[in-house]
Amino acid sequence: MGNFLSIPILALAAILQASIVPQIRILGGGPDLIFLLVLAWAINARLESSVIWAFVGGIMQDLMSAAPLGTSTVGLLLLVFAISGLGQQVHKIGFIIMLGLVLFGTLAQQIIIMLVLAFSGFTMQWGFNLTFVIAPTILYNLVLIWPVYWFVLRLQRRVSRTGSSV
Amino acid sequence: MRRNWRANRVIFLLVCLSVCLVLLAASVSGATAPLEGTAATPMNYLAGIFTDITRQTNSFVSDLTEIQSLRARNAELEEALARYQTELVELREINNDYRRISELVEYASTARDQEHLVAEVISYDQNALMRTMVINRGVRHGVARGMPVVTGQGLVGRITDVTANAARVMLVTDPNSNVNARLQTSRAQGRVEGQLTGNLRMMWIPLEAEVQVGDVVLTSGLGGNFPPDIQIGQVESRQREEFALNQQAEVRSLVDFDNLEFVLVITSFQPIDVSAFE
Repeated sequence: MGNFLSIPILALAAILQASIVPQIRILGGGPDLIFLLVLAWAINARLESSVIWAFVGGIMQDLMSAAPLGTSTVGLLLLVFAISGLGQQVHKIGFIIMLGLVLFGTLAQQIIIMLVLAFSGFTMQWGFNLTFVIAPTILYNLVLIWPVYWFVLRLQRRVSRTGSSV
Repeated sequence: MRRNWRANRVIFLLVCLSVCLVLLAASVSGATAPLEGTAATPMNYLAGIFTDITRQTNSFVSDLTEIQSLRARNAELEEALARYQTELVELREINNDYRRISELVEYASTARDQEHLVAEVISYDQNALMRTMVINRGVRHGVARGMPVVTGQGLVGRITDVTANAARVMLVTDPNSNVNARLQTSRAQGRVEGQLTGNLRMMWIPLEAEVQVGDVVLTSGLGGNFPPDIQIGQVESRQREEFALNQQAEVRSLVDFDNLEFVLVITSFQPIDVSAFE
């Protein structure tokens, strides 16, 4: 059930990412809703489910941009695997670890996207993108992870109540 | 087998990344372009709707926040407008004064054999039976009794009283004013008397003299009270009574006596005393 929910939720997130987020950008950066949803899902979900969410989220995000299909998926996949590995090491992912996941996850995701785009033939301004795009994106993600995580947690609990595994 | 796949996360990751790379390669090569286009169409449509809603909301919010600053700006502009209107009135007054003075200067420059002193009218006679005014030049400025007062439009009157810093002028429209005059065209002599109505009447014009409407009436210089050839006015109408020994004419001065602000005093003229010959 949770896996099927990924399609409408991440599709809506991609639409909002393309319509509303550009209006609220600081410098060149804005919140990465797909990244936050996938990260929030992966914290309390099994790896297989998280991988599905990463694939669906990445494809939805790339459909709404000029980037080749799969560009965003690479970073999201690495993120969910990292969270799964971390989940095996710690009992519970707390506040500090959450912040760390957002901070380093956003950085890694954006750098991977830039690398994939560079290999695909797009021109990249590394230093400029770091300050103009990535830094504001990190700030936005650090603030918005809390409401997104709350929403995803409630969703996962509801899905669990229906008897489906998350 | 399934548990081995799940347990071996590295292999699982590599498989997922391989799928990603295949997807990337297909997308870059254009193989997935038709699928991407089809899948993106409904999402782009919905994104357009959300974008419109967001823009309208942004516009509404920015309009609300701008109201306060617009109110302040409006108050500033109204204050500035009031200030500029006051300045405009002042500048118009200055412009009017400049125009009047430049007319006087132009007149003075044509009468080069005369010396003139510019004076400002400071008051009019309160008595309805008299037509006099007071100017702000007096003995200290070289003004004396009997000096003629003119403007660019013609004769205004004569100085009758002088103090240190002011002088009284009897206007030509005063009933006590008598100016020896002549018609410019026919050279016929007469005397212009003032009327309380503000008009002028030229009396004692010889019967045989031709008087035409529009004729210019000038000072003749006879009697020594005024210098000759100063314009008094123009003939408006002619009266000739049966059995009269002379004719009369109504004369209209071009001077606006009710709105005089600046006048010229001819300081180089001294009236000649002919009383010894009377």
